[in-house]
Amino acid sequence: MSKIIGIDLGTTNSVVAVVEAGKPKVIHSAEGRNIVPSVVDPTKHIVGDVAKRQMVVNPKTTIFSIKRLMGRKYKDPEVQRDLKWLPYEIKSGREGMAVVSVEGKDYTPQEISAMVLGKMKADAEAYLGTKVEKAVITAPAYFDDSQRQATKQAGEIAGLKVERIINEPTAAALAYGLEKSHAHTIAVYDLGGGTFDISILELGEGVFEVKATNGDTHLGGDDFDSKIVEFLASEFKKESGVDVEKDRQALQRLRDAAEKAKIELSTTTEAEISIPYLTADQTGPKHLQLKLSRAKLESLVGDLVDKTFGPVRDCLKDAKIDPKKVDEVILVGGMTRMPLVTGKVKEFFGKEPHKGLNPDEVVAVGAAIQGAVLGGEMKEMVLLDVTPLTLGIETLGAVSTPLIPRNTTIPTSKSEIFSTASDNQTSVEINVLQGERPMASDNKSLGRFILDGIPPAPRGVPQVEVAFDLDANGILNVKAKDKATGKEQSIKITGSTGLTPEEIERMTKEAEEHAKEDETKKDGIETRNRADTLVYQAEKALKDAGDKVPADVKTEVEEKIKALKEIQSSAPIDEVKTKTDELSSVLSKIGESMYQKPGSEKTEGTEEPKGADGQTEEDKAKKDSDSGDVQEGEVVKE
Amino acid sequence: MPKIKKTAKSQTPQDRSVVVRLENQLKRALADYHNLERRVDEERKLLAQLSSAILIEKFLPVLDNLENAQKHLNDQGLEMVIKQFKDILATEGVEEIVAEGAQFDPHFHEATEVVEGQKDGLVVKVIRKGYKIDSKVLRPTQVAVSRTKVDQKAELMSNA
Repeated sequence: MSKIIGIDLGTTNSVVAVVEAGKPKVIHSAEGRNIVPSVVDPTKHIVGDVAKRQMVVNPKTTIFSIKRLMGRKYKDPEVQRDLKWLPYEIKSGREGMAVVSVEGKDYTPQEISAMVLGKMKADAEAYLGTKVEKAVITAPAYFDDSQRQATKQAGEIAGLKVERIINEPTAAALAYGLEKSHAHTIAVYDLGGGTFDISILELGEGVFEVKATNGDTHLGGDDFDSKIVEFLASEFKKESGVDVEKDRQALQRLRDAAEKAKIELSTTTEAEISIPYLTADQTGPKHLQLKLSRAKLESLVGDLVDKTFGPVRDCLKDAKIDPKKVDEVILVGGMTRMPLVTGKVKEFFGKEPHKGLNPDEVVAVGAAIQGAVLGGEMKEMVLLDVTPLTLGIETLGAVSTPLIPRNTTIPTSKSEIFSTASDNQTSVEINVLQGERPMASDNKSLGRFILDGIPPAPRGVPQVEVAFDLDANGILNVKAKDKATGKEQSIKITGSTGLTPEEIERMTKEAEEHAKEDETKKDGIETRNRADTLVYQAEKALKDAGDKVPADVKTEVEEKIKALKEIQSSAPIDEVKTKTDELSSVLSKIGESMYQKPGSEKTEGTEEPKGADGQTEEDKAKKDSDSGDVQEGEVVKE
Repeated sequence: MPKIKKTAKSQTPQDRSVVVRLENQLKRALADYHNLERRVDEERKLLAQLSSAILIEKFLPVLDNLENAQKHLNDQGLEMVIKQFKDILATEGVEEIVAEGAQFDPHFHEATEVVEGQKDGLVVKVIRKGYKIDSKVLRPTQVAVSRTKVDQKAELMSNA
């Protein structure tokens, strides 16, 4: 069954998305971008960025903003208004509908839009690796029947079966999952590249109804850029005395810099604009260098933002709703990234607007979701759970070692090899922990059991495989198996995901609050563990080497061992670290001295493998292992 | 999880429909998974190529400004610096797009200006150099293109 793609067919840009495994994904174009300019040159059959690049060379054949003519009659006042500034020829076609005339041939807006849709279709097919035949296409809420029909036809011409035309604000609401909320009234504030739209939606029984719409068809991000360019040009004139208005090249650079600064100022409070060699006059080259503060930017474009609230007020009046009574507010369009915009919207409606999704892509995402619903995909989708808290075991030093991190989709399984902490340790205790804290005692113990019968061996040698298996119902099976003997022991824990949402939140919050001190604590334990291991290895190395080690090296190493042993459990961490490093560097001398024969060359780099972090297996926690003080745990024999 | 009777004989039509539904869900999930695997693999390869392209693109304005400076300063040392920069680009497979005098091609050039000229559709001036990486466009060359007749509206549009 083929997928139904969702297409946002915009005035300036178009976006395509599709739902995969229940998640909407925006599809990138062949050029690697997520948005495609809605620009077409029908005489050369080029669409998108390529068509845009030749716009000034072929103004009569490069068609852009065709959406403004979609489904409208030639005599329509909107068409007559746009006629004046659109560089290509617009005529009255069949039944008085507006058509574009390119090199003597007439094209309906549907045919032009179909070329954009064709590209979106091709890009989607390349991405999915299969043919795409069906789509959901969005249209502005104010589109009348004729305009919607035209949009549908455009899809058909492009070879797509248009399963539905949905409203852009509705698509945005779907993208934010608001159809599942208890919201009754939703405001969608859409400030794009060239147009502003405000819509009030009413949600009833899972269906969205458009109560009112309004907007400004000639107000958008481009106007904001122009204000900044104006400012930069005037500042430059003040500084250098040069007027760049007639310098096309300089203006272009100013425009690029203005856009870049505008974007930067959404996340910083000051942007540095630096354009060396912007222009030159008889006195020499002239550079532009100035700092643009967010406050200054806001003063430049403030009245443009204020302008949007005129239509907003009118729209609310039509819908007979008080702004504070609106339940949810959604932001759409790139310009809404600007803090000034989100701030003013928040102020006006008295609540925080939804803006978590990419505002350029949210409409396409909503269309894709609608497509998935129509295709039955959302119904057939299996909802998977995640494990809300990290699951792990207790290891040496009462540290919590994670095996399955939180938010892992279940069912899932994970296994790791652990080992013993002491020489001749014949049993290990598995303490199953749940929680985010690095220390075992701060997490919840879900259960314990013991695996014994491990053949005596030096510490770190035995291989115990610990396997966690969490099934779709949240039942955790933990198994420990000694690879040498094949002996295994296990435990079954039910309700490991049975914490209430409040408990989970509390535990996660606590972990965040204590993160820093926990980290220090854990670091301390690990440092002491390392010191301990190094002492063990050093002593072993000396013993193994026996007489082969020269006396002076032996003494040095013994000194360092003693120094470290004395302080390893009591001294502050930094001291332990230092002494560990000292022992480590001295340790290498053992090997070095053993390889040296009198009269032979001194070679560098033949070191005994450093013990400090050289272990491939983690040490296994075991309290009082040597004394055999064993704790019993619940055990389920497989 | 719904209980399904073990043997085929004891399965009711209801059971069978549950089985069919589950099979479909499984197949869909597996299919999406396989597609994701394939895509992750492709995107990983693409990302490796893409990430150096993205990084290099960030440095191009620096090269632009160095060359701008050189136009005014005509300094030997600066010339050496520019050459060094270009040599590094060459090792990454980056090449300058030849534009001046060539036929305008929107796949490689971006027209920002139109000037009246003898021939039609020729690149008469390079406003900002363009580069390609392994034959793909990294940044199109900004150019002025000649037309035998210049449209007034075109002048307007280039400011939009």
